[in-house]
Amino acid sequence: MRPKDLATEAANTWCPGCGNFAILNAIKPVLAVLDEEGLVAIETVVLVSGIGCHAKIADYVNANSFYTIHGRTIPVATGIKLANPDLNVICFAGDGDAYAEGLDHLIFAAKRNVDITAIIHDNRVYGLTTGQYTPTSPSGFKGRSTPSGLEVPPINPLEMVSASGGTFIARGYSHGIDLLKEIFRSAILHRGFSFVDVLQVCATFFNLYDHYNQRVYALEGHDPLDRVRAEEKMREWDYDSDGPIPLGVFYKKDAPTFGDNFEEQNPRKIDIEDAINKTLERYI
Amino acid sequence: MPAQLVEGNTAVIVGAMYAGCDCFFGYPITPASEILHEASRHFPKVGRKFVQAESEEAAINMAYGAAAAGHRVLAASSGPGMSLKQEGISYIAGAELPCVIVDIARAGPGLGNIGPEQSDYNQAVKGGGHGCYRNIVLAPNSVQEMCDFTIKAFDLAFKYRNPAVILADGVLGHMVEPLNFPQTAVEPVIDPTWAVCGNRETRGNLVTSIDLDFKELEAHNLNLQAKYDRIRENEVDYEEYRIDDAEIVLVSYGISSRIAKSAVDAARREGIRAGLFRPVTLFPFPAEELKALAERGSGFISVEMSDGQMREDIRLATGCRDVGLVSRYGGNLIGRDEIMEKMREVA
Repeated sequence: MRPKDLATEAANTWCPGCGNFAILNAIKPVLAVLDEEGLVAIETVVLVSGIGCHAKIADYVNANSFYTIHGRTIPVATGIKLANPDLNVICFAGDGDAYAEGLDHLIFAAKRNVDITAIIHDNRVYGLTTGQYTPTSPSGFKGRSTPSGLEVPPINPLEMVSASGGTFIARGYSHGIDLLKEIFRSAILHRGFSFVDVLQVCATFFNLYDHYNQRVYALEGHDPLDRVRAEEKMREWDYDSDGPIPLGVFYKKDAPTFGDNFEEQNPRKIDIEDAINKTLERYI
Repeated sequence: MPAQLVEGNTAVIVGAMYAGCDCFFGYPITPASEILHEASRHFPKVGRKFVQAESEEAAINMAYGAAAAGHRVLAASSGPGMSLKQEGISYIAGAELPCVIVDIARAGPGLGNIGPEQSDYNQAVKGGGHGCYRNIVLAPNSVQEMCDFTIKAFDLAFKYRNPAVILADGVLGHMVEPLNFPQTAVEPVIDPTWAVCGNRETRGNLVTSIDLDFKELEAHNLNLQAKYDRIRENEVDYEEYRIDDAEIVLVSYGISSRIAKSAVDAARREGIRAGLFRPVTLFPFPAEELKALAERGSGFISVEMSDGQMREDIRLATGCRDVGLVSRYGGNLIGRDEIMEKMREVA
């Protein structure tokens, strides 16, 4: 399979210069290669998107997909994964989606270590509704609903997911596709909840290309198993200060995933009637 | 001041500011976001509170809190956001707090699209959340009314200590018309007889929607129902156009009523005796007035951008089973010709 086999005929309506193109152009080759290598068959991939500009990615990749509700990508993905553990579920969500309307779900996915991948298109602005501040917008941000500048500082989603028990924490950038591909590949192959915050530039409402280009650098010689060092690196940039901004896989850990026990307790082939009778013994 | 050309969503904030609204809580959603933007521009300048909340649920619960403290609170959203707010609205209704909620409805179900539809009728008019409660629902059909009805909604919300909903749609929210600004501005005043202000005077006031005692909760429900009956008795509002000798009465609200009005004139030119009955309040629904028209022998056609959600209320009011329906879905406005066709069919 080649990346172009994953293209669709849907007309792309993202603005010119939108960072979503980089995410799209990174995920397609990654999925194509994983399929070629026999690691992740494309039939087993389910892409789950939320509401926001990012969500149209479901229309642009020729794979199973589920266009969900604003804020609810992660619970829908969790449902899909638990119902059919053979599937490889990848969520695409916006920063408004994952860090505002659906924040509780993100925290619980990390806490449970549900075996899905969440890729956050973090453009730090609500693009589809034309430019309001989000939880990762920097203080002072002048948007449609903050004409005098945002008064409150942003959250650092990496630290938040780490505090919630996340077992794979990474940051990418929509300029620099090779690193993005590398991160996506490791995230998909990680067993557990993989979280990737992608600094994805909204060219129309919050163009940060120049700002990022001067500040980003790729983590080198970093041991993602070292939690202390990982958290130091996560704190190096707080989404508000002037940088530098490290990119790459910050933290990685092997841990039991949510649903493992379901599998143990519910082997696929089972004498259903007998099992139900046993469970209900005291009531019948 | 001469009339100003403004958008419907802007007119809501103009009305709210003159009505003494001192708290706004919102979340971005098309086609209602301009209400959020206008509030963010103007509220802080006059010492009023504005928050873009982290979610639709957060916004309505902030409204719940500020309303409990006796403030004049506004929230605004569109269909999907209204669905999310229903839990909070039920609590506000149960706790009998005043609050104004603007619904700039869009096409559904589900994500649907951002075109206009009137399919939020049921979730606005019939309660919408859990439990037996009603919102007062006003349906403007012009930019002027987006402003005026916001003021009226605050009056009614405080008069009855009840949530009041402005039910509009994406066209009303975005269209631009001349607006005559209100003549007088209301100062926000907190009523210590029921509000919880964190002082000795209001210490005994209880704001709650929980009542674990079955008998007490039933009594509370009966009180609510009695209040809704008082609203039905006193607050019905409607508009009639060429209704006196009308054999066919178009019943239509909001943006559709303007198209229906032009269809009435066109039908009259063809010799069809048509008239328009436009409910201004959807709750309370002008049932008695429609019943009177039915008793004199008029036939009815409901003109609404939904699957006949209002038609059910017309049937209940008039006892007529064969109420016609002209409807469009999916963000499409009803065309005058579609209404004409239906009238020719039944005339």
